Amino acid sequence: MAVNQEPQVFLFLSELLGRRIVDPEGRPVGKVLDLTGNIGETYPPVTDILLRSAADGKTFLFPWRRLAEVNGKLVTHPIQPDDFRAPALRAGELFLKETLLDKQVVDTDGAKIRRVNDLQFLQSQKTLYLVHVDVGFHGLLRRVGLKGPINFLFRALFDYTLTDQLISWKFVQPVSSPDLLRLTVAQNRLAQLHPADLADIIEDLDIHQRAAVFRSLDIETAAETLEETDPKVQVSLIEDLDTANASDIIEEMSLSEATDLLGELPKDMAEGILKEMEKDVAQDVKELLAHPEEKAGGLMTTSFFGFTPERTAGEAMEIIRREAEDMDLIYYLYVVDADEHLLGVLSLRELIVASPEKALSELMDTRIVAVEIEEHKDRIADDFAKYGMLAMPVVDGDNRLKGVILFKNLLEAVLPKLGR
Amino acid sequence: MVENLTGTFRGLWQAFVGKKYWKSLTLFFALIGPGIITSNVDNDAGGITTYSLAGSEYGLTLLWTLIPITGALIIIQEICARMGVVSGKGLSDLIRERFGARITFYLMIVLFLTNLGNTISEFAGVAASMELFGVSKYISVPISAAIVWWLVVKGNYKSVEKVFLFACVFYLSYIISGFMGKPDWQAIGSSFLRPTVRFDTGWLTMAVGVIGTTIAPWMQFYLQSSVVDKGLKADDYQFTRMDVIIGSVTVNVVAFFIIMLCAVTLFQNGIRIESAKDAAQALAPLAGNYASWLFAFGLLNASLFAASILPISTAYTICEAFGWESSLNRKFLEAPQFYGLYSLMVFLGAGIILLPDMPLITIMYYSQVINGAILPVILIFMLLLVNDRKIMGEYTNGPVMNIVSWLTVGILTLLSLTMLAFALFSK
Repeated sequence: MAVNQEPQVFLFLSELLGRRIVDPEGRPVGKVLDLTGNIGETYPPVTDILLRSAADGKTFLFPWRRLAEVNGKLVTHPIQPDDFRAPALRAGELFLKETLLDKQVVDTDGAKIRRVNDLQFLQSQKTLYLVHVDVGFHGLLRRVGLKGPINFLFRALFDYTLTDQLISWKFVQPVSSPDLLRLTVAQNRLAQLHPADLADIIEDLDIHQRAAVFRSLDIETAAETLEETDPKVQVSLIEDLDTANASDIIEEMSLSEATDLLGELPKDMAEGILKEMEKDVAQDVKELLAHPEEKAGGLMTTSFFGFTPERTAGEAMEIIRREAEDMDLIYYLYVVDADEHLLGVLSLRELIVASPEKALSELMDTRIVAVEIEEHKDRIADDFAKYGMLAMPVVDGDNRLKGVILFKNLLEAVLPKLGR
Repeated sequence: MVENLTGTFRGLWQAFVGKKYWKSLTLFFALIGPGIITSNVDNDAGGITTYSLAGSEYGLTLLWTLIPITGALIIIQEICARMGVVSGKGLSDLIRERFGARITFYLMIVLFLTNLGNTISEFAGVAASMELFGVSKYISVPISAAIVWWLVVKGNYKSVEKVFLFACVFYLSYIISGFMGKPDWQAIGSSFLRPTVRFDTGWLTMAVGVIGTTIAPWMQFYLQSSVVDKGLKADDYQFTRMDVIIGSVTVNVVAFFIIMLCAVTLFQNGIRIESAKDAAQALAPLAGNYASWLFAFGLLNASLFAASILPISTAYTICEAFGWESSLNRKFLEAPQFYGLYSLMVFLGAGIILLPDMPLITIMYYSQVINGAILPVILIFMLLLVNDRKIMGEYTNGPVMNIVSWLTVGILTLLSLTMLAFALFSK
């Protein structure tokens, strides 16, 4: 906030709600029911008071700036006839109590869902700004009306003073309605979160909030988040989208994650999405989908580097540099002949240290460890443990390379068995 | 010879645990869920005690009340399940958002106390049933508390739910022991056809007690949360409704067999009992040792079952209302309130039983009183919530459903208040 000479006052929403407003002569004007704020700004200014008129019991909006005094009593400036207007919101405004108080918000700093116990405002130059959200026990006690007694008890018994647990509005993303997400989209705070945190938050939200939050994300973030989400939640999120949007997001996901997800979806929906996807990606996914999930074929991805033995290290490097962005696996290069027979393997490290003109056939390790396409995941886990590799090639009965299993994907498949 | 026998055994065992059987079993478990579990937990130690007393003191005269009770249970549980499916939120969540912090705060304190009282009576049930098998409560209660703790903290919810569903099967023991009492079906049939209401205080109190133990406050929170946890959508709602109906019917079938068994054995022989343990003991000479053992085993199962669900459900409910971290996937320090509340419930629940000279009957009595007092509040909140268009959209109650449900809630409120008045003024 800007530095100024005026006294700055912090006010809580709970202290304002239900308060009586009087005019300069002390005649009652009404009672505070709610406040409206302009949510588009970094710290939303309070625009109006929703009040129940003392005269006829109707509700009106009354401009905040028409209050002369806030401390102690709420006193207005001399009332003008056009001070009151019907309770309709202007663009960008919302009722702060109705949409925020007692509702859930996402704390993007702590990557957690919180429940709003109170809102804290700062009064500066006659304007009231929403600056903090109170999520602590102390705030709850203030609402309940037990702040005094419990504070006394804590001080007397434990010599401990309870403090407010405030989150700056900067780090708060309201999620209770799709409108709220749209209004704040200019500064969508959810984008500050790591996709894994975002996935956790999405799992904790209720079904409507989930869908609203997910829709507010850009395609890339949505895909990254979806990869980290629990399969059951993945399905429900995708089911809420139309096929065009769904296929855009799924295309952005890694091949194996996309395959798993499509395998979980209802058949007709999965087919609809596949039709919308780019041809070659859809083709890869379809091939992978044909394998049962608990076998090597169901775990593998086809998004990796395969080279012929004649290629030089330099050429390979060039290709990797060009295409690595879209690959699931870049740490191993597999050397195959024209019929896809697996001849050897080398790691990215070996490639980097090799001189560029050497052929891959000279660099590769021919002591290959691979699994059959029908191998069960438990056996594969044993192999991973034994050989300590990041990825395992998958071959058919003729030693033709079919795909690669990433350690990460195997871990997800066997994790339920490991317990916690 | 011996080898032959072990071979046969192995064959049988494999047939039983073989892959095929497990597959069909898991399929079966996937179809049923929250409704059945909730209803069966409801036949807990307190419930079994009340049913035994009802049968042994008033014979078959209370049996017919189970029919309106089933109806009321279905109506109320259906509302909860519908709210869970449509809003995707738990009941305490909705109450907090709609009725504000203050009401929620006090409601949660009361709910905590009544659920603690219920938990104590579950562990008392464990102690009583194990004593029938000759095990001291100083052994059975700590062990069962440890089992409860281990199940919930170490197992994940999915596997725990399966264990719970499996536990429901053991309620069959009451049905079997019911048949062992050699009931007179004609007399039972006519008790349903010609329902009687007796206007003496004892009978009425007992009737209210049977209703009160079948429709409990905590169930509404638990059912709605488990519906939400299952991630059911509005399209699947038909299944959820079936689940609720099957659950509500089963719970009352079990209640029927308990009341009936006690009526045809204990009541007809003029035996007075004080507890479910007495009932099991008194059954031995009348219906045979097996009936007695089955009865005791049923009590043990019911008590353990409810003791594992009540504390965790309470912790979830309260944390949800206040926005505290509540997940078994977090570490203790990440969710201190959740684990704190959970531990408090288990340790107080089991610990109080072990204290010598604890006035158990008084504690359970007061927990029943609080139950009765809080139930109307929760039911009224539920009806206000389910008719809120902002929450339920097009899934609010229709006019017929509203008349039926307000009538049900009105009657239940009246009965709860009556019980409260009896409780407070008859002592």
